[in-house]
Amino acid sequence: MGALTDKYCIVGVGETPHMRPSNRTTLSMACEAVTKALADAGLKPGDVDGMTSYQAGDSTTSPHVATALGMRLNYAVDILGGGSSGEALVAHAIGLIEAGYCKTMVIFRSMNGRSGRRMGGQTPGGPVPVANAEGDAQFNMGWGWTTPAQRFGMSAMRYLHDTGCTTKAFAEIAVAHRYHATLNPKAIHRSPITIEDHQRSRWIVKPFRLLDCCQETDVSVAIIVTSRERAYDLRHPPVFIMGGYARTLTDSPQWNYSRESLHYVAGNYGWKRAFGMAGITHKDVDFVSCYDAFTFTTLIQLEANGFCGRGEAGEFVKGGRLQIDHELPSNLSGGHLSEGYTHGVQMVIENIRQLRHRADDACPGWAEGKHTYDRKAGCRQLRKADLCCGMGWGWENMASCLILRGMAA
Amino acid sequence: MPGPIDYSKLRILPDFDTAEWWAGTKARKYLVRQCKACGHKWFPPIFPACAKCASLDVAWFEASGKGKVYSYVVVVQPIVGAFIGAVPYVVAIIELDDCKEADGTVTRVAGVMLDEESEVAIGLPCEVVYEETNDPKIVMPRWKINGTAANAWRFTE
Repeated sequence: MGALTDKYCIVGVGETPHMRPSNRTTLSMACEAVTKALADAGLKPGDVDGMTSYQAGDSTTSPHVATALGMRLNYAVDILGGGSSGEALVAHAIGLIEAGYCKTMVIFRSMNGRSGRRMGGQTPGGPVPVANAEGDAQFNMGWGWTTPAQRFGMSAMRYLHDTGCTTKAFAEIAVAHRYHATLNPKAIHRSPITIEDHQRSRWIVKPFRLLDCCQETDVSVAIIVTSRERAYDLRHPPVFIMGGYARTLTDSPQWNYSRESLHYVAGNYGWKRAFGMAGITHKDVDFVSCYDAFTFTTLIQLEANGFCGRGEAGEFVKGGRLQIDHELPSNLSGGHLSEGYTHGVQMVIENIRQLRHRADDACPGWAEGKHTYDRKAGCRQLRKADLCCGMGWGWENMASCLILRGMAA
Repeated sequence: MPGPIDYSKLRILPDFDTAEWWAGTKARKYLVRQCKACGHKWFPPIFPACAKCASLDVAWFEASGKGKVYSYVVVVQPIVGAFIGAVPYVVAIIELDDCKEADGTVTRVAGVMLDEESEVAIGLPCEVVYEETNDPKIVMPRWKINGTAANAWRFTE
């Protein structure tokens, strides 16, 4: 796979606003995200001949979007999945383009994640009045244990027990990602928070408080992948795909808790592959994105992907390490915790913008790559943004990664 | 103890792989799947094959229903309607005492504790207790702390 490093690029990104509620169909939102990504790349609908998406039975499909936008596709496949699927579909795109199935692919996710189907089974209005527990749900809904917060809380609790970490480490992540959201005009939550604000917020499911949990929103996102040769002719300097892993699983992944440690999550099995493909070390990484459905998922992904030793993530994130202008900035758009919730692709989009040096912040010249680096004036562009590691998370048991570099690296 | 679970709002629907397990709880037996070929035990019974040797020749092992708390969460905001009156309630992952294998594998199961948050801690011993539901076919296993442990660890923040 090393031979594919840098052969493929992400050339276009687009998204709708984060809405609550959208009052729109997932098809309408997907069309907006895809056309914005096309415009960003400088492509016309007819230039794209492959489309994929991921969903949980809650969204439109690639053939619908292609019909709406007048695209005749050579490849259209929609997969089941949530977090970690966007990065995995980038891997699909590389394989498909390499093999000649198509030339340029768009990947989208469109979801009414707040006003429609919510994760974990609750209705938009609150608890499920009467629930059928069938299949897997016999052995989780039956115990009143359904949501991602409830499930990930179990590994978080054991992590606190095993490592001596406290929820102040969770707070560090909430504060860092919120700080970045204050620099992002698109973010849902833009008021800064403190460690104390986190510690005072109400309990959702112990050990998680309100400020440990992401912001469900209605949104669609799209990215475009093509070969390096085509990428050079497009609107922006290309962002090169250096390496990754795609929906890598732990052993005993599904509703079975007998693996050695609940918090030995899937990234542990993937990162050597990704860093090996990319030919880099952790020291080369300028910034990261971590699927922050919860503060804890960021914490444990940093550890799982080798940014710190096992059991050390709580210490690692202390002192604002993940904040812009510190050692390892994370989720520069504010992430799921503060910008909104797109099942991961918004992190890829932000990473692309940072690597292009075109973060869409308050700087008047951002579109031309002119930034002040004055955080008080709302600039969120990193000074050095040459190489990033994006980490996607499905459950504890499923993870993806995408290592990207900009033209300067 | 936590408030009652309103089982009229929760319909458990056993399937071809799980019907015998639910018949087990109705008979006050806590079953886990066991491989006839290699002896490996696992939970939940939705999995019809052995993850150690891939055999589909599987049977049941009647566990003692005793174990130790491996981890837990305290649900404060209810999501499933049947549990609105039960919050705050504790869901735990429990390591079964008599399901330890030579290579270190321990069968872990999950369930709702009958105890208050203040009574639950990682490392404490517990045992299954059976609870009738609105559906005469379904008896729900709950778990109750039944002892102490020197190394018990409780979330106190």
